Amino acid sequence: MRRMKGAAIAVSVGLLAAACGGSSHNSSNNTGSSSPTGGASGTVASPNGSASGGSGAPASHKQGGTVTISNEAGQNWTCQFNPFNPAVNSLSVGFVYEPLVYVNSLKAGAETPMLASSYKWSDDKKSITFTIRDGVKWNDGQPMTADDVAFTFNLIKQKPSLDLYSLFTGAGLQTVTASGNQVTMTFSDNAQTYFYLFAGQVGIVPKHIWSTGDAAAKPDTWEDPNPVGTGPFMVNPCKPNNITYTANPNFWMPGEPFIKTVQYPAYLDNGPANLDLANGKAQWGGQYIPNIDAAYKAKNKDNNYWFPPMTNVALIPNLDPSHKATSTLAVRQAIAAALDREKISQLGESGYQPAANQTGIVTPTFNKYFDSAALASSGYDKPNVDKAKQLLASAGYGPDKPLKLSVITVSGYTDWDASLAVIKDQLKAIGIDLTIQDLEGQTYDDKLFKGNFDLAYGPQLSGGPSPYYELRQLLYSKNSAPIGTDASTNYERYINADVDKLFDQYATADDAGQVSIIKQIEAHMISDVPFIPTTESVDWYQYNTTDLQGWPTKDDAYAQPAPWNYPDDEQVLLHLYSKSAQK
Amino acid sequence: MRFLLRRLGFFVLTLWAAMTLNFFIPRMMPGNPAQAIKAQLNHSGHIASPAQLNALLASYGFDPHAGLLGQYLTYLKDMVTFDWGVSIGGSSLGTPVRKLIAQALPWTLGLVGTTTVMAFLLGTLIGIVAGWRRGGLIDGVVPPVFVVTSALPYFLVALVAIALLANGPHAPFPNDQNYDIGLQPSWSGQFIGNVLKHAVLPAASILITAIGGWILTMRNNMISTLGEDYVRMARAKGLSNRRIMFGYTARNAFLPNLSGFAMSLGFVVAGTILVEYVFNYPGLGHMFYVATASIDYPLLQVLFMLVTVTVLVCVLLCDFAVFLLDPRARAKG
Repeated sequence: MRRMKGAAIAVSVGLLAAACGGSSHNSSNNTGSSSPTGGASGTVASPNGSASGGSGAPASHKQGGTVTISNEAGQNWTCQFNPFNPAVNSLSVGFVYEPLVYVNSLKAGAETPMLASSYKWSDDKKSITFTIRDGVKWNDGQPMTADDVAFTFNLIKQKPSLDLYSLFTGAGLQTVTASGNQVTMTFSDNAQTYFYLFAGQVGIVPKHIWSTGDAAAKPDTWEDPNPVGTGPFMVNPCKPNNITYTANPNFWMPGEPFIKTVQYPAYLDNGPANLDLANGKAQWGGQYIPNIDAAYKAKNKDNNYWFPPMTNVALIPNLDPSHKATSTLAVRQAIAAALDREKISQLGESGYQPAANQTGIVTPTFNKYFDSAALASSGYDKPNVDKAKQLLASAGYGPDKPLKLSVITVSGYTDWDASLAVIKDQLKAIGIDLTIQDLEGQTYDDKLFKGNFDLAYGPQLSGGPSPYYELRQLLYSKNSAPIGTDASTNYERYINADVDKLFDQYATADDAGQVSIIKQIEAHMISDVPFIPTTESVDWYQYNTTDLQGWPTKDDAYAQPAPWNYPDDEQVLLHLYSKSAQK
Repeated sequence: MRFLLRRLGFFVLTLWAAMTLNFFIPRMMPGNPAQAIKAQLNHSGHIASPAQLNALLASYGFDPHAGLLGQYLTYLKDMVTFDWGVSIGGSSLGTPVRKLIAQALPWTLGLVGTTTVMAFLLGTLIGIVAGWRRGGLIDGVVPPVFVVTSALPYFLVALVAIALLANGPHAPFPNDQNYDIGLQPSWSGQFIGNVLKHAVLPAASILITAIGGWILTMRNNMISTLGEDYVRMARAKGLSNRRIMFGYTARNAFLPNLSGFAMSLGFVVAGTILVEYVFNYPGLGHMFYVATASIDYPLLQVLFMLVTVTVLVCVLLCDFAVFLLDPRARAKG
């Protein structure tokens, strides 16, 4: 049950996830209406640049209605809305603060222009010029200008603790200047892969608020209790047990938002959060609900769910030579060959999380990059116990010298426990004796980060609009660290100069080149087995259609659907409308 | 007088020792705040570096490189001056600890405090009556029933209560929250009524599971006290039953229960994590859990201190009460 916790932390974090449903049993798309498909998901920027200027607004509807969100926060609201505070930015970015461009990870980075009506890269992609939309007002009535955009980024530059996406340290952003209605950013290097972060994630803040008083003195810790943004909603009011958002009358899209009120209660635990979803008290869920068909779907014909997969759940082997068995290639190959991933998905995850594969590409979300031929010829597409036994024997292990390994996992993540029990069985068949160590979250993290494990189950990273983002975290050598010091994300300590080079080339490649680079990285995943994917982690998402229409669905994946996906939540709120208000 | 002074001296010493432990024990937990907050910053394929994590924590007033002794002295000073700093935990980063406590404390005091006092008073009263009429109808029925209910796990009682009384669209009671969402807190009758309605089920569940212990101990104390010579003498003097029951028997039988009550009153501040979980009731118990899980030192040490101080103060008050109620304590002192 506490696996939920994982999802819940992801919540406040906004761990992104995406894509069209992997699970076969789900959302009947009964948004039977003239709803949104057209607008937001349609406007895609041409490959070499400027996004088309459309408003991204869905078909028009009358205003009215309320949506209540059920998403376990694990704590009462603190009523802070500072978009630079990572604990609360999922409550303000999207609702109140808007990015320049919305980038949809579920549709390979499809773009919807928001505060920037268009943009243009320089030829070497080291500089980008945004044209800022005319006629946008802050919710206090003042006009939003290019000056505000430049101010936001320069504020981040001055105060490194505001730089949540390491734009000035990692992405090589150097200057941001405004002139007229244009904002130009220059980078030290090709910045294409960071577009998603600087254009798609950073919420633009008003200069007239953030350049005076407490906000100017302590922009990183300022509470920002009454956020002034350009987004469709305003906080009105926030109480520890509930945030009420009401429609922003100054919002720049005509007629939007259709929904008048958003209620966001603070749920401490899944129990009440799931109950409220099941009985319709809340209509938009981001919850893990055990036995969801009986506990949620069967309670009301209008209850639906959809779980798009986005990242891998994997066995992370320790590749450091100090861990003899797991640093031996044949052992890792044997494990990868022995696993029956379909079974792990069905028995361990009730099929909610689909089976993963050894290329590390999350399907069907990133099918475009998936090299199914390479997977088939590698033989890892089906479990092969005989081959696994042979590989293990070649590494010097066998019935007379059994291999003992331990795997660390987070205690309370019951679905992981169930998956590991299946894995333990499957590895026993080839002669590996797996010990499962259930550790309290902090101890688990400590061991994982410092490299103090044989195998680790995890790793709970975040994805992005292409597999590059997750794979780079796991496989790029700069994300590793020596055993005993914290590795940022390359916990298995995989160091391969060829793979590093591929990641470095990715930014400058064109679309086809990027696909080819990812496929080459997949080849390394197959030959080196740096980690062993088992299932695909998903976004939990439930929606009720009794009164509300316009939800994202498997067939109309216009945004990542969970309420904790920001700034995607804004797209969902702009598409929703109330049936009863249309009469 | 010496008795009181000695008690006070002991109080100060215990307080210091407990506060020192409160400082060091959380710091012996595995992990550190930077690791705990790391997940918060890894977003959208972006990775937080250790330097970035430390810079972030430092801007919220936590310097991981400050020496332990320095931290300890600052801690002692902050606790005494009520300068509690801001939370550094994942979901409440940057919120002043005082504000967090102020939001949760009234609900915990209101719900758990009231029910603890009610359970004690009711339990004691029932225990007195049951012990006085040993073998009577009340003695035969009430204590056994409540002993059984007090053995039930709290969450089970709560879940059954929700299933029976708070499920479905026309349920008589709400299943979660401390008041209806969207309602504005005020001193209006409507709001207070709403709060009370939300408190009925959690309070009843606590009461049902907590009362049994008080009944049983009070009843047994009554029975043994009834055998004392001074009770026989009171009867011989021809005093009224009522006077013997309350003034002679209950007054003495009550003393051992009083220190138990003082302790449980002290722990009210620790909240009741299961109540808060099941009914989604905002209180300190859940805050304790979250602070521990996210290695939120500033919040943890204040919570610990509050519990320590209230337990010690309650025990001290109990000592004083015994001093007043029991002449023997005065004579010895």
